[in-house]
Amino acid sequence: MECRVLSIQSHVVRGYVGNKSASFPLQVLGFEVDSINSVQFSNHTGYSHWKGQVLTADELHVLYEGIKLNNVHHYDYVLTGYTRDTSFLEMVVDIVQELKRANPNLVYVCDPVLGDHGSMYVPQNLYPVYKNKVVPVADIITPNQFEAELLTGKNISTQKDAVEVMDLLHAMGPDTVVITSSDLPPRLGDRFLVSLGSQRHVRPDGSRTTQRVRIEVPKVDAVFVGTGDLFAAMLLAWTHHYPNDLKTACEKTFSVMHHVIQRTISYAHDLAGPGRRPSPPQLELRMVQSKADIEDPAIVTEATVIS
Amino acid sequence: MEERRVLSIQSHVVRGYVGNKSAVFPLQVLGFEVDSINSVQFSNHTGYAHWKGQVLTAEELNVLYEGIKLNNVHHYDYILTGYSRDTSFLETVVDIIKELKKANPGLVYVCDPVLGDQGAMYVPENLLPVYKNKVVPLADILTPNQFEAELLTGRTIRTAADVMDLLHDMGPETVVLTSTDLLSKHGDQFLVALGSQKIKKADGTRVSQKIWMDIPKVDAVFVGTGDLFAAMLLAWTHHHPADLKTACEKTASVMHHVIQRTIAYMAGPGKRPSPAQLELRMVQSKADIENPATVVRAELLETSVH
Repeated sequence: MECRVLSIQSHVVRGYVGNKSASFPLQVLGFEVDSINSVQFSNHTGYSHWKGQVLTADELHVLYEGIKLNNVHHYDYVLTGYTRDTSFLEMVVDIVQELKRANPNLVYVCDPVLGDHGSMYVPQNLYPVYKNKVVPVADIITPNQFEAELLTGKNISTQKDAVEVMDLLHAMGPDTVVITSSDLPPRLGDRFLVSLGSQRHVRPDGSRTTQRVRIEVPKVDAVFVGTGDLFAAMLLAWTHHYPNDLKTACEKTFSVMHHVIQRTISYAHDLAGPGRRPSPPQLELRMVQSKADIEDPAIVTEATVIS
Repeated sequence: MEERRVLSIQSHVVRGYVGNKSAVFPLQVLGFEVDSINSVQFSNHTGYAHWKGQVLTAEELNVLYEGIKLNNVHHYDYILTGYSRDTSFLETVVDIIKELKKANPGLVYVCDPVLGDQGAMYVPENLLPVYKNKVVPLADILTPNQFEAELLTGRTIRTAADVMDLLHDMGPETVVLTSTDLLSKHGDQFLVALGSQKIKKADGTRVSQKIWMDIPKVDAVFVGTGDLFAAMLLAWTHHHPADLKTACEKTASVMHHVIQRTIAYMAGPGKRPSPAQLELRMVQSKADIENPATVVRAELLETSVH
């Protein structure tokens, strides 16, 4: 399989967020991963301390120029996640557009990181850039409920609302939308949360169909960082292998997440000791230890096809 | 699996496999936790027609290390360094290693003292005294080529043993001469690599094990192979800490598999492959990295008592 991904995300010296979270699992699955590090920090910003440097939009452009001058700017996928800077994000959009001209079949997987639980955690001026420029060039997006509502201007209270929001997101650009988490009431009880996915296909006769799925995933009593980045990377991988079967792609992706998270929670609690809350360093994803699960995830979450 | 954490301070390239791109994935595949500080971020290695990017200053390196230290997570089992162009950067690396060794006296520093090859230096000359006087004395495992070994010791290689013993005296207990001009008994399609390791046996006696390897030459210039070699030597000496012969056989064998796969993938007959085409087939070699079939044998030359 010769499949090349350009991933433009953060780098942390220690831990698993951004490119550190996305590259290893994609490489383990046989993808060639070119990575542009948008920042280099000692560790993610949930630790007590963090230090490092950011890449400017100009510096991003310079790196891309190097790739282009060598005529190796040919990618099958682009993957982006957390960004804090509008000019950086706009440069990313320009690059994606050029890369799509170089390869019209390029698939842009975008995690539109804006916020969660009712509030934005990036500067507000990123919102119009995502809405007007980024999402329209995306092919696969992985918003959470808050981001999906923000991008479409519509609230989600019922599954029907969620389906309408996903249709609105399709109309903005991407053929594949996965709402990674929502407040919808789970059927399996309150230890679970509900995720939803929607994928539009064009049949050979030109007509359109939409496959929609619902997945209930076990909640975890811990705050993980980097899981969204791992999710987007694994969704890239499994939609690559199952391009017309969102149900299977989601089952594999959510299952990998489950295995990595369970391994991480176990280890974190061992490190922290009984009755103590694990610290951010202790909660770093057990990524290298999860290689076998990444390569071949046992399916532990089932996606239901919904209409 | 026990927890082993490496701090690797090397280059990052967006595309291709040199520096950290060459070292990190194989180490992670072998189950090592790898923290990586990228000393530069370039589009690709400097053997391409064009390259562009940014370098990390000594000050910025220090800031990153400060972040790690402030969180009290500056505990490493291994440090790995390679190609460096800047004396102040290299000196900051030395300071960091000294501190990390104070935090963990069992820390093993694997150092590729990149200075040059085939008789010429390809880094600034003022790096030599820094390597000689500050870096090599801290190193535990050193992977010079013949030119670098001769430069560091001020001696030319006539016999296998003398240069390596001089390097041991400078600091590292394990030295691997990754390539030499010595004559292989298999002829001129092979190059000779040498290794020497000082071990303290259970009864307290100190011995030094020397090995000799005949390695098939390849008719291509690869970039990043030295970085992969040092990373894999780290891994295999970890698994075989008192058996340099086995550690070197595994390391040289992995190199062979990756290189052969890369050659097989290249441009068709009659065409010289471009640097882009010569990039190591790293992700495709995962199975060989995990469990390298031994295809290069090392001979035990001598075990001498000190």
